[in-house]
Amino acid sequence: MNGIKQSPWLIHYDASSCNGCDIEVLACLTPIYDVERLGVVNTGNPKHADIFLVTGAVNEQSQAVIRNIYHQLPEPKVVVAVGICAASGGIFRECYNISGGVDSVIPVDVYVPGCAARPEAIIDGVVKAIGVLEHKHREMKEIANSLDKILFHRAEKSDAPEILALQKIAYQSEAELYGDDSLPALHQTLEDLESDFERMPQREATVLGARGAQDSSATDLDRIIFVKAVVNGKIIGSIRGYAMDGSAYLSRLNVHPYFRGRGIGRRLLEEIEQVFPHVNRFEIKTGHRSKRNLFQLAKRGFEAFKTEPFTPIITWVYLQKDQRPAAAKKKGVK
Amino acid sequence: MSPWIRLLIYLVGAPVLGGLLAGWDRRISARMQSRRGPPILQPFYDVLKLWHKENLVVRRSQNFYIFFFFLLVIFTGALFFAGSDLLLVIFALTLAAIFFVLGACKASSPYSFVGAQRELIQMMAYEPMILLTAIGMYMVTKSFYVHEIASHPTLLVLALPGIFLGFLYTLEIKFRKSPFDLSDSHHAHQELVRGMTTEFSGRALALIEIAHWYENVFLLGWVYLFFASSPLLGVAVSLLVFVFVILVDNVFARLKWQTALQSAWLVAAVLGFGNILVLAWLRHP
Repeated sequence: MNGIKQSPWLIHYDASSCNGCDIEVLACLTPIYDVERLGVVNTGNPKHADIFLVTGAVNEQSQAVIRNIYHQLPEPKVVVAVGICAASGGIFRECYNISGGVDSVIPVDVYVPGCAARPEAIIDGVVKAIGVLEHKHREMKEIANSLDKILFHRAEKSDAPEILALQKIAYQSEAELYGDDSLPALHQTLEDLESDFERMPQREATVLGARGAQDSSATDLDRIIFVKAVVNGKIIGSIRGYAMDGSAYLSRLNVHPYFRGRGIGRRLLEEIEQVFPHVNRFEIKTGHRSKRNLFQLAKRGFEAFKTEPFTPIITWVYLQKDQRPAAAKKKGVK
Repeated sequence: MSPWIRLLIYLVGAPVLGGLLAGWDRRISARMQSRRGPPILQPFYDVLKLWHKENLVVRRSQNFYIFFFFLLVIFTGALFFAGSDLLLVIFALTLAAIFFVLGACKASSPYSFVGAQRELIQMMAYEPMILLTAIGMYMVTKSFYVHEIASHPTLLVLALPGIFLGFLYTLEIKFRKSPFDLSDSHHAHQELVRGMTTEFSGRALALIEIAHWYENVFLLGWVYLFFASSPLLGVAVSLLVFVFVILVDNVFARLKWQTALQSAWLVAAVLGFGNILVLAWLRHP
């Protein structure tokens, strides 16, 4: 018994709902339905909540709020999209100010259909969310217990869906940092990521995403290499990079938010550096406000050498590091 | 019973009893609102869950203060149940509350700040009455020691009816129930989110919950002290007082802090000080 199942605390946010679903959510608390008998508490505080109920489609103004609230929920957490608008955008889907359902901003675990969703359906959704919550908790506990058995592997194309899901969770904190979701990592599609596994980086390209021609004569090391950190068969971190003209371009260092601060990112960097023994320098970029990334990269020996505006809010900082000769490395020169 | 055994029973039994009381509280509240309510063990489930949640902090040091709040609340109750000096108990209680306030201030969120300010005001509101309670008990029993007060042959409440009522009033504040849930309300979502506990999650929040259980048991123990010469009556009245607090919680809306402070001091002055004046006059007419 760990109480996770018996004590789901909710936070409810109205993204742009017509109030139909909101009233039904509150109806669940009334004497007729009384969700408190399941241990549910309607908290107004994301830091106390386990389940994030969102009603209504996502518009320009609610995007940042949803991301902020999601970011403040302690792990493990579950997102429930209540009503058809929250699930897909509903009748507002085509509106100029609507970006779609809640899953266009944050990862959603449970969808509750209906317009308005009936209280019974919402309770069903919450009960389902409790199941997801327990599953996530168990998974996290197992991973946390066997973090010392972490493995670093080359990722295969079949890992793409898991890596994409991780990437979207991991980049939430970055998007929160800038209050901007134009980070390309958040918008990558599965097809795009899958094709990354076969893509040949082109000469001019310094960032990933440049499409290259298929070349059967290319060796394995000319492709984009993905390294994954695996615990208990689950990917909790990943990085990718490719070599070109004596430089290795690293990118998309993802670590699941719950497992940060345990040196996984550092080890991912080490692993991928070993993949490219022949290059002279490594290059990586991050946003200018990502102090933590900049600090960690500086600790790993990276130095900023140029900045480039990406959007009015985000400025890329490019960092580089020279590859030390293999012999010096072995002697442990610091 | 030796003070050490009483102390041990308190340390082990208080969180169990306090948790059950909290579960009972939620159940009775639900029934008062014609709902079914959660299981009696719900507070234990909540704390267990919080123990397994991620601990998000604004500053790491905020949890340090909460840990000391937790320790000092236990220390307060331990002093009380070991039969120590009532004045020392009051000072320990105040110190515990101050650590909670410091923790809330450390989190530097506007909501926990508002909660912390209001908690300080509430402390100003209840401190005089609590001190008068100790003084009243001294006047009757000629001792500040809890074990001597508890073994006094007469029912204290007969000599201290005003002080008992005034103490009930401060109990409402100490239990953080409506109409005095200004600093840390479960229901004031729009106004202060969760007040003092807004920025605490995971284990820190679990510690706060457990500290409240210890505190509640200690406070009900103090209610018992008014009826200590008749133990059965004492336990019955303590439980009745708890039900009364729940009833008041469900009947009243939240007060403004001005009203809370003024009314608490008015009660302390009229019921508390009035009672002491009458006692003094009866002794030395």
